[in-house]
Amino acid sequence: MSTHTPRRPRRGALTPYLFLAPGLLLFSVFRLYPLLDGLRLSFTNARLGRAEYGWVGLANYERLLEDTRFHTSLWNTAFYTAASTLPILAIPLVLAVALNRGVVLRTFLRSAFFFPFTLSVVTVGLTWLWLLDPIVGPFNYYLRGLGLPVRSWLADPYTAMWAIILTTVWWVAGYYLVIYLAGLQDIPPELYEAAALDGASGWRSFWSITLPLLRPVLLFVFVTHIIGSFQIFGQVFVLTQGGPGDATRTVVQHLYETAFQNFFHFGSASAMAWVLFGLIVMFSLIQFRLLRGHTEY
Amino acid sequence: MNEPGIRVSRRRFLARAAAVGAAVLPGARRALAQPTPTISYWNGLTGADGKVMDELIEQFTRDTGIRVEQQRIPWADLYAKLQVSVPAGEGPDLALIHTIEVPHFANDGVLQPIDDATASGNGFRGDEYLPSTWQGGVYQGKRYAIPLDVPQHILYMNVSVMRAGGLVGADGKPKVPASRDELLAMAKQIARGDTFGFAIGTVNPGKYTWGFQNLLWQNGANVFTADFKRSALTEPSAVEVAEFFGAIHAQHKIAPPANASCRDAFIAGKLGLWIAGSWNFTGLRDAKVDFAVAPVPRLFKQPTVWTMPHQYTFPKPKAPDPAKREAAWRHIRWMSDHVAEWTLRAGQVSARRQAHSDPRITGDPVLKTLLAQAPNWQGGQPTPRWVPAENLTRPVIETVYIGQKPARAAMEDLARQINALPE
Repeated sequence: MSTHTPRRPRRGALTPYLFLAPGLLLFSVFRLYPLLDGLRLSFTNARLGRAEYGWVGLANYERLLEDTRFHTSLWNTAFYTAASTLPILAIPLVLAVALNRGVVLRTFLRSAFFFPFTLSVVTVGLTWLWLLDPIVGPFNYYLRGLGLPVRSWLADPYTAMWAIILTTVWWVAGYYLVIYLAGLQDIPPELYEAAALDGASGWRSFWSITLPLLRPVLLFVFVTHIIGSFQIFGQVFVLTQGGPGDATRTVVQHLYETAFQNFFHFGSASAMAWVLFGLIVMFSLIQFRLLRGHTEY
Repeated sequence: MNEPGIRVSRRRFLARAAAVGAAVLPGARRALAQPTPTISYWNGLTGADGKVMDELIEQFTRDTGIRVEQQRIPWADLYAKLQVSVPAGEGPDLALIHTIEVPHFANDGVLQPIDDATASGNGFRGDEYLPSTWQGGVYQGKRYAIPLDVPQHILYMNVSVMRAGGLVGADGKPKVPASRDELLAMAKQIARGDTFGFAIGTVNPGKYTWGFQNLLWQNGANVFTADFKRSALTEPSAVEVAEFFGAIHAQHKIAPPANASCRDAFIAGKLGLWIAGSWNFTGLRDAKVDFAVAPVPRLFKQPTVWTMPHQYTFPKPKAPDPAKREAAWRHIRWMSDHVAEWTLRAGQVSARRQAHSDPRITGDPVLKTLLAQAPNWQGGQPTPRWVPAENLTRPVIETVYIGQKPARAAMEDLARQINALPE
């Protein structure tokens, strides 16, 4: 017995790691290694395609302090995140509540709203680029037809970011709608029944039953949206390339241009990536704290 | 174990083993190299010209037996890909690039220099080419490229739009603007509602650096000083151009919004006078647009025409492969000999003079106009900082175009950014 006991648990302990090994290996090669190598590069003056490069300490990070376009891109990213949060939280919620009530063509509408999310960001971007085209686009055509003022939405510094937000809401609303619907269906119908017996109005039920019981779902949507917002790139890249001027330049757009267009500065682009990573970690920690305090799973 | 039917003699076995070994070992593979190898060729011909290139390459393979594996990648991505793959030894045998990319790729060791003896040995001589295109392949005294063709600007005039503006004569020919003032007056006559009088650029005219460069050159200005050390964009002549660029849309309202597709607007009959690339004209013919062309008008001091020749280059290989290099040379040679076909079908006039007298080319009104512009052709400055400077220029001129930033302040800001670019 004593000779057998030490062997068994060892074999048993190895098994889960063997199962995890393929995943861990891929994770290390494609996630962990690039992440850490990016950190190393951020302390160098590495340029893509150049064999030799040197250690520059914190110079790349110091340069970011002076890079006004990086500051603009941080501000734009923050603006996008803040301005898109309410529509992204509210619009799918309104739709979900409506669809949960048994509207005509419910299944059809649910699919219709979800459909945009199945498209790639480039498809969505190109579609909206055409819809919002200032001369041949249908959007301005109908506005003109209605006698309303038109403008070139994506080339106007005051409207370009809002056009990107609109595109994003159209694209992702269906996804959040499905998540909300799942949450709504988890709310016991008895609660609404009891509320109705007590004479509560629909509005009152929404505020006192739906919203509080939906809080875990709302927080999930909130957290995933904020993290996604910090990384916004595809829509900007296709719709405006950061323009007009730098009006919609976001951190990832700036990073992409630094790394792949302007002299291939991998060192300084890696530094940007790590600053962004730091910001996302910070916000995620704050949000997880919020989640922990109020949510039961 | 062995089946009686397949008996392998020892000699045969050894011969087969040697063949397998030769195929596996890279050194031995070369010894067995076929007389007609396959070459890899990267280019950015993603438009209709790509289809023409495919057909010509098929014909080349039929003629020579050399197979060409093409990778067609949008230009910007192609350049990033070359920058990454060539140092890793994964580059193509042949790449078609724009002239202004030559200096930075040469500087970074991505391209292999071509000595004069090799070029002339393969039948390429400078006097057969238009000087500016031949010179474009040289960086710091060394040749890195052989020119193919000369994409350039031209003035397109939408006949029906101009007729509506009363600018078509009794002979049915639209009036050609002879000066900046005349262009502005004509454009104002055309512009109404969502129809625009004048534009420069295919899409996104607000950040069309090639148009901005064309205007700079017309005014004797440039992006860098003559020694390429500093930006020359704060010179009064450059600021004057920026002021014009900032007035056409924001002030005069004759040019389309910064992010408009001028090509779509022109095809849809919503744009009258349009300075744009020669690569657009075959598409306009396909779309059955009633248009005429004229040389790029002189809007400032001289009638300079912006050009951007395509150049054949040899990305540095991991190890030299003479057979592949020879095959790549044969492809360039073949294309240069058949460049009239390329001009007629893809719409780009050749860098090589010989095709210029082809009656099919001289008989085409657009190609004839393009060729007539040759004395006024100009290209970008041969500095590795040209391309990064252009990337910095795009958002800045857009703020000028939409009237967000005054011309002088924008040029000062841009010059500061360009001067801060590393050497």
